[in-house]
This record gives sequence, structure tokens and C-alpha cells, in this order.
Amino acid sequence: MSRRYRIGVKYCGGCSPRYGRVQAVAYLREELRDSVEFVSYEASDIEGVLVVTGCPTACVDLTPFKDRPVWVVTSRKDAEGFVETINIMEKRNGLEGNI
Amino acid sequence: MPLMNAKEYEASLRELKLNVWMFGKKVENVVDNPIIRPSMNAVAATYEFAHYPEYEDLLTATSHITGKKINRFTHIHQSTEDLVKKTKMGRLMGSLTGCCFQRCVGMDAMNALSMTTYDIDRKYGTEYNKRFLKFLEYVQEKDLVCDGAMTDPKGDRSKAPHQQDDPDMFMHVVEERKDGIVVRGAKCHQTGAVNSHEIIVMPTISMREEDKDYAVSFAVPSDTEGITYILGRQSCDTRKLESGTMDRGNQIYGGHEALVVFDNVFVPWERVFMYKEWDFAGQLVEQFASYHRQSYACKAGVGDVLIGATQCIAEYNGAQKASHVKDKIIEMNHLNETLFCGSVACAAEGHREPSGTYYVNTLLANVCKQNVTRFPYEIARLAQDIAGGLMVTLPSEEDFRSPDVGKWVEKYYRANTAVSTEDRMRMLRLIENITLGTAAVGYLTESMHGAGSPQAQRIMISRQTNMEEKKKVAKKLSGIKEE
Repeated sequence: MSRRYRIGVKYCGGCSPRYGRVQAVAYLREELRDSVEFVSYEASDIEGVLVVTGCPTACVDLTPFKDRPVWVVTSRKDAEGFVETINIMEKRNGLEGNI
Repeated sequence: MPLMNAKEYEASLRELKLNVWMFGKKVENVVDNPIIRPSMNAVAATYEFAHYPEYEDLLTATSHITGKKINRFTHIHQSTEDLVKKTKMGRLMGSLTGCCFQRCVGMDAMNALSMTTYDIDRKYGTEYNKRFLKFLEYVQEKDLVCDGAMTDPKGDRSKAPHQQDDPDMFMHVVEERKDGIVVRGAKCHQTGAVNSHEIIVMPTISMREEDKDYAVSFAVPSDTEGITYILGRQSCDTRKLESGTMDRGNQIYGGHEALVVFDNVFVPWERVFMYKEWDFAGQLVEQFASYHRQSYACKAGVGDVLIGATQCIAEYNGAQKASHVKDKIIEMNHLNETLFCGSVACAAEGHREPSGTYYVNTLLANVCKQNVTRFPYEIARLAQDIAGGLMVTLPSEEDFRSPDVGKWVEKYYRANTAVSTEDRMRMLRLIENITLGTAAVGYLTESMHGAGSPQAQRIMISRQTNMEEKKKVAKKLSGIKEE
């Protein structure tokens, strides 16, 4: 791998989350430490946005991110699926085409 | 960016020169007073968590005036999504603090005034809405806490404001000057009053023309000359003065209420939002009350804490596998989520008013609050059922720490051997705190009477139910022919 992807993290507000959202992102940071740099969704030069919501309602407004790849994680299982997605994308060499 | 953090908020409070009284003495240092301090911590949490990435989506919003990112507690709802996020913010903050965090009342007052001032202007050609929006922008830019002050002492309940033997039983205008007005009266049960930068005063009931001197709404800085705060007592409040902290239950947060006296307080015209427009007093009361009845989603958040504490104590007692314990905790969750349902529903069914502000569905807001007058009591009863009698017979922390008798407390109050006696005691104290200690003020009696007592909601439910339509369908389906 030549470089790490720079992905912004956007959480829902967490009114009644059904799993640990922050812990799920900590898990992703660890699992993807060699391939992804997770930063704030407001950071510059991000290549995509990971939206982490506490339940499938996923009430986050996605319109500010319409020009970028967006992944939505609504459960711990989704977080595990995101690891697989990134690994597959790495083999394909890029985020584009995976929106 | 107009977003203070907790430290900046605390520093801003230290600049206020409030006239606060408690236990017959003037409180010289309000912020550091051990009885008041936990309530300051709870309001400070509304500032601090707004900076946390995992909470900011609920705790911040975009100002419709400036386009800047602001604390949602200073926001005017611009959509039903905003209303739903307000509900969710209330639950979130309740679940993080386990108590009343005091900041919703000002938000509800501002949203109600954004509509009522607009409607008064349309009828009378006044400029209240312009004044209000200027005040709102100031509140948003400075990220201030506003106390929404509605409840007057009311005196003899059988008499209208102008009929009272003592005219001060309702806040009223005593003098009109070129540069403003002078008001006198008091507001009772003022949640978070001494943690507030501004006080927004509203009338407390619908009024007739004879009561026009009492139809007044305005905002003043909380340390304006002539304002006195007298703190309300809470059950177990002086435990906060003891050397240990375990018996407090909640180690960090709390709430407070105060009687706020206005003794000839001057209000400049630019801060007056209603002046003798008696025919709009009822509207302002109803709009504020409806928003505030929605706000009781916070009790679902406090319920989250109580349910968590109850599950813990069941495990600490070694009773968590008993089928009746499991079933009671399911019931607690069922009741708690039903509370949340009502608040979400009245928000999702909200609508746009002529001012542009989004307003809750008032029937559902009243149904929401009616449930809140009941369910926390049942949730608290179940928590006490599972906790056991030890919750109210437990010796003090000082006995637990005593070199003489501490060993007996340690020995005889250990249950599940995997859990320390101290942890068991701490969890019991938290349940005690929420169900009959200082936090029960917010979780129980405030649930009963805050935003209007139960009968007030029943009147509103009755008014808004389309009974004729229900009767019509019943008659049709039963074969009764309408004449």
C-alpha cells in the first residue's frame, strides 16, 4: 500500500444508540490503521465520509457530503463490513466507484 | 464561532452579580457553593458535549439568522427534523447527566416568542418580532443560558390577576417611562435560574382586557437590579455539605429551582416583547407549554440512567436471573420508550407557523406530557422494588469508612462476591437520588407539575379531540341513522 486514505468521521447525535459508536470507530481505527486515517468530517482534503449512527434510522443529514463517497455504519456488524469494504477497495486501488 | 465550552460558561457565570439567598443567608459565591454546584455542572454539560463529535449533531444547529453553528439550546426550529433533533437532544442530555439540565426552558420560551411576537406585530403593527430577533441573535452569538420564567405565584386561584388582593401575585407593569417599563411580581419554581445569563418573562395564564397590565413579556440580564433569587430546598440537599460524596448518589450533576422576585425592575423598551396585548397572553402560554411538554423527552434520558442503575443493582444483588426481575426491567424499558415515542411523535407531526418557526403537534405534545406525569413514578417504583429496602436503610458513608463499625457494614452488606460493598452502596445511592433524593425533584414531581399539571394537559387533549367525528363513525358502523 502506498498511502493511507483520509476519511472524515461524522457521528449522529447518539440519543439512544444500540451499540457503542465511539468504540466502533476505535475498532475501525485499529483494524484499518495501515490503510485509513480517520479525521473529522470538517477536515480538509478528505476522500470520503464515514457516517456512524446509533441505529438504522440514521438521522444524519447527508446533503453536505453529496459530492463525496459516503459509507453509513448503523451497527457493529456494519463496522466489520466496512473493514472488508476498505480491504476490497485497496485491492482495486482506490475509493472511486465505491460510492 | 459562538460556542462556549464548559470552562468558558463557568467563567461567564462568575461575572454575574446575582442576589442569591439560601438557608436565610446571601450566597456570596454562587458558582462554588456545594449545593448549587452540581446544577451548574449539568448546564455546563450542555456546552461541553456540544464539542464532542459523537454528540454535536444533536447539540448544535445552524442559526437561521446568521448561518453560524450555534448551540441547539439557542436555536429556533426551522423544520420538523429540527423538532425531532430537539427531542433527541433532551433524551441524550438526560441520559448523560441523570438529572434536569435546565436549559430547555429558555429554548422553549424563545421559540414561543418567535411566533407570538410575529403574530402580535401582524395584528397591531408593533415591532416586537424585530426586537426579539435582535435579542435572539445576541443570545446565539454569546451562547447564553436563558431562564424561561412563566409561573406566577397566582395568589387566590379563584380570582383573575386584576382581582387579587395583592396585585403582585401576577407579574405586572407598575410604571411606564420614556425609555422602558418598571415591573413587579415574582416567578416560582424557576429551573436553573441562578445558572442563567438572562431571564425571559412571560405571562402565566390567558387574560382578559381588565388584566392588560399583567400581559407583559420581556428579557433582562439575570443580575439586573431588583431581582432576588431564593433557592428551593431539595430532599437530601445537605448531603452535599458532608465530607464524603458517596451519599449524594449522583457524584457530578444535579438541578435546582428558585423563587425569583422582581422588586420594581426596569426593562428597556428594546427588551419588551409584549406590552398589554392581553389577547395574545393565552397564545404565548399555550405555545410555550406545548414546546415544553415536548421537552420532557429528557425524562426518558433520566429513565435510561435509572434503568441502567436498576440492572446493575440486580446484578450486584445476584438477582438478575430471576424471571420477575427481568420482566420488571422490560416493563421499565417499555414505559421509558413510550415516553420517548410521544415526544418524537409530536415533533415529527409538527408544522410551520406564519413566522417560519416550526411548532409541535399540540395534541400529541399534551399526550406526551400526560404520560410523563405517570410513567416515571411507575419506573421509579419498579426500580425501588428491584433495589430492595436497603436503598433506604443503608448506613452513611461515614459509617462505612469508620474504623470501628465500617468492617460490619462491609461484611454484612456485601451480596454478589464479585462486587465490592462500596460499589453496591454507590448504586443504591444513585437509585435513591433519582427516586427520592435531590434528583427526584426533576424526575418525579417536576414530571408531574412542570410544563403544567396533569389536568392542564387533559383540558388540552379534550379541546383538540374531534369527538363529533368519532361519534359519527361509531353511529355509522352500528347502523344508527343520523337525522
